Amino acid sequence: MAMHPRKDWYELTRSTNWTPSYVTEEQLFPEQMSGHMGITLDKWESYDEPYKTSYPEYVSIQREKDAGAYSVKAALERAQIYENADPGWISTLKAHYGAIAVGEYAAVTGEGRMARFSKAPGNRNMAAFGMMDELRHGQIQLFFPHEYCKKDRQFDWAWRAYQSNEWAAIAAKHFFDDIITGRDAISVAIMLTFSFETGFTNMQFLGLAADAADAGDYTFSSLISSIQTDESRHAQQGGPALQVLIANGKKEEAQKKVDIAIWRAWRLFAVLTGPTMDYYTPLEHRQQSFKEFMYEWIIGQFERALIDLGLDKPWYWDLFLKDIDELHHSYHMGVWYWRTTAWWNPAAGVTPEERDWLEEKYPGWNKRWGRCWDVITENVIEGRMELVSPETLPTICNMSQIPLVGIPGDDWEVKVFSLEHNGRLYHFGSEVDRWIFQQDPVQYQNHLNVVDRFLAGQIQPMTLEGALQYMGFQCVEEMGKDAHDFAWAEKCKPEMKKSA
Amino acid sequence: MSFESKKPLRTWSHLAEMRKKPSEYDIVSRKLHYSTNNPDAPWELSPDSPMNLWYKQYRNASPLKHDNWDAFTDPDQLVYRTYNMMQDGQESYVQGLFDQFNEREHDQMIRDGWQQTLARCYAPLRYLFHCLQMSSAYVQQMAPASTISNCCILQTADSLRWLTHTAYRTHELSLTYGDVGLGQQERALWENEPGWQGLRELMEKQLTAFDWGEAFVSLNLVIKPMIIEGVLKPLQQKAWENNDTLLPLLIDSQLKDAERHNRWAKALVKQALENPDNEAVIKGWIEKWQPLADKAAAAYVTMLSDELNCGLYVERSASLRASMLTV
Ligand SMILES: [Fe+2]
Ligand SMILES: [Fe+2]
Repeated sequence: MAMHPRKDWYELTRSTNWTPSYVTEEQLFPEQMSGHMGITLDKWESYDEPYKTSYPEYVSIQREKDAGAYSVKAALERAQIYENADPGWISTLKAHYGAIAVGEYAAVTGEGRMARFSKAPGNRNMAAFGMMDELRHGQIQLFFPHEYCKKDRQFDWAWRAYQSNEWAAIAAKHFFDDIITGRDAISVAIMLTFSFETGFTNMQFLGLAADAADAGDYTFSSLISSIQTDESRHAQQGGPALQVLIANGKKEEAQKKVDIAIWRAWRLFAVLTGPTMDYYTPLEHRQQSFKEFMYEWIIGQFERALIDLGLDKPWYWDLFLKDIDELHHSYHMGVWYWRTTAWWNPAAGVTPEERDWLEEKYPGWNKRWGRCWDVITENVIEGRMELVSPETLPTICNMSQIPLVGIPGDDWEVKVFSLEHNGRLYHFGSEVDRWIFQQDPVQYQNHLNVVDRFLAGQIQPMTLEGALQYMGFQCVEEMGKDAHDFAWAEKCKPEMKKSA
Repeated sequence: MSFESKKPLRTWSHLAEMRKKPSEYDIVSRKLHYSTNNPDAPWELSPDSPMNLWYKQYRNASPLKHDNWDAFTDPDQLVYRTYNMMQDGQESYVQGLFDQFNEREHDQMIRDGWQQTLARCYAPLRYLFHCLQMSSAYVQQMAPASTISNCCILQTADSLRWLTHTAYRTHELSLTYGDVGLGQQERALWENEPGWQGLRELMEKQLTAFDWGEAFVSLNLVIKPMIIEGVLKPLQQKAWENNDTLLPLLIDSQLKDAERHNRWAKALVKQALENPDNEAVIKGWIEKWQPLADKAAAAYVTMLSDELNCGLYVERSASLRASMLTV
């Protein structure tokens, strides 16, 4: 035999812990950056990453993956997706790229945090590949939408969203900075890889890939399913870190990090992915509802993964299940209503056929969100456009950075969860968001949400126009409009007459 | 509403003013760090959150200052896609070497006694390479421009590449020489053997130099040139003398990476020196780290062979460093 299989020498590649003596262990791995919770280097050596790879395999496999994704793009250039796809699908692409591309790039820093500061040698090596993966995801998801810049100004936001103070971009940054860039290595392993990447990226990348393939956007479909193959590898860094923590008596601390990350991911997904899956994606191309994806990828997945590890379901599980039925419908209505402040064009998604689908997937939808859309539809048909765009400021959650919404219908209520802390009054969209703040006020306390900034006079002039400027909009073409220019309202006319 | 109407741009708005047509490198590499926008809160969290304080202290307040770090360009203009193509080629070459030399029973033909030197002076290199990997990952997360961070991502991966070569060869050699501690004693040597202590001291201290500028200067301008001239090249030379023809070829392939690292480091120094205040800053850090690096190289070379002239290697690493400082 001329070459030796990886298993024969892999152990040596991760036998790299040593006992420092010119500096202390704490200086080399400061708790603030490492998050070792006082567990010593030798104990972290039991960390065993389930998915193993090596440098030569990595560069070879990744080269092939890229060749695949880029050649699909080149081959389908003439399919003219931008010209031919439904505007709702284009909105999905815009929302996706803006919210994801540069966020993926920021994840390099989270992987870098583990590559430098994790006390587990296997984690440090896998995170070095993770840095490479996230470089890939940032770069490829900038390269693909770039060609659309020349067609549509909103595609500039694939690059620009994270540089801006647009509300959804702030929400995305506040979340990702809280679980990735603003955390120590072990928190990144738990909050980013275990809690977020295991379930939520599956949903975003495989769920949307299915819709994309159905919509005929094979370029996007092959791109994001290729990305997911990397995610499912480096997502496995968190599990063994949790095992080390649990074995060393840190279950409670580990559980808390999981609980925080899952809830925060959920809220962001409800405002970005929920509407794209249940409202923007053309009806005939919807593979499953957002709720069905949530049950498949999150509920099933986490219950199993958590129990297997010896952790518990988060304490808020019942609230979470209720939220999955409701929250994104309200968020969607809010985003559509406040569409001028989005870098994509929200599709209302409420033609009679779509409403039937929503009622089937979410029994009771018509009685609740349907009623509000009735009013909106009537206003559109009657040409009372001033009533279907905003005049007032919403209240924004000091955790999720997303406006507070109520659930319409007979049990209508917008409940604010407030907290006074060091003389400042904070508002939260849920009990869980408030609980997260209370676990670690220092992480959040002097952050201002967009409305706080407005009221503090940081946004001038204090008008909608001033706010849009502050959010980074450079021209009218960038501001969100109704994706179908209200054509859907026409389709509702006969139904409206019937009910009248 | 008084917003104007504007036409679409042919590229990202931040590249639209560029005179040339933006390349793939420009499109996917430039201006991706949003954490440099708000000096008060690098991350979208409380300005006084622990991580914001870390970045404000060790990045924003670094004495190494430049108005526009984002102008930095990797001289090789590598992107993820092209890096893998290039390194897949390099790895195929190295694996071809491993394969053929194994076929020809290379390890049985080395000069007797060299296996002990490999066990003592070569196999523990994986700890040193791993330190380079960790340190590169630190500069990546702290660098003030995405184009700088990207060079560090690749440098991290390259360091893992070298570590992987070392692990592979350590295992392979142990099959022929089972009694010299290969695959067993590296940690003990790294922790106790006098010839390694200079390198370990240097790396432990360097890994705790948290200012991003100091981390970059100490790693890329002091340590890496020293490792090239004071560790890898003397090792290469001794290997030739001992009928080990594989190791010099392997090191040559690693030196290709090292030369690329030197190119980007040199380009970054050149940019930094556009601000005249930086000259003294860089010089100060070099003066601080150079003695430790020289001491480390001397100890290593002495361990490798008492016939080698330590002074010569120290001199060569000094002149390599000097070449990176000339604009
Ligand atoms: Fe990713
Ligand atoms: Fe990831």
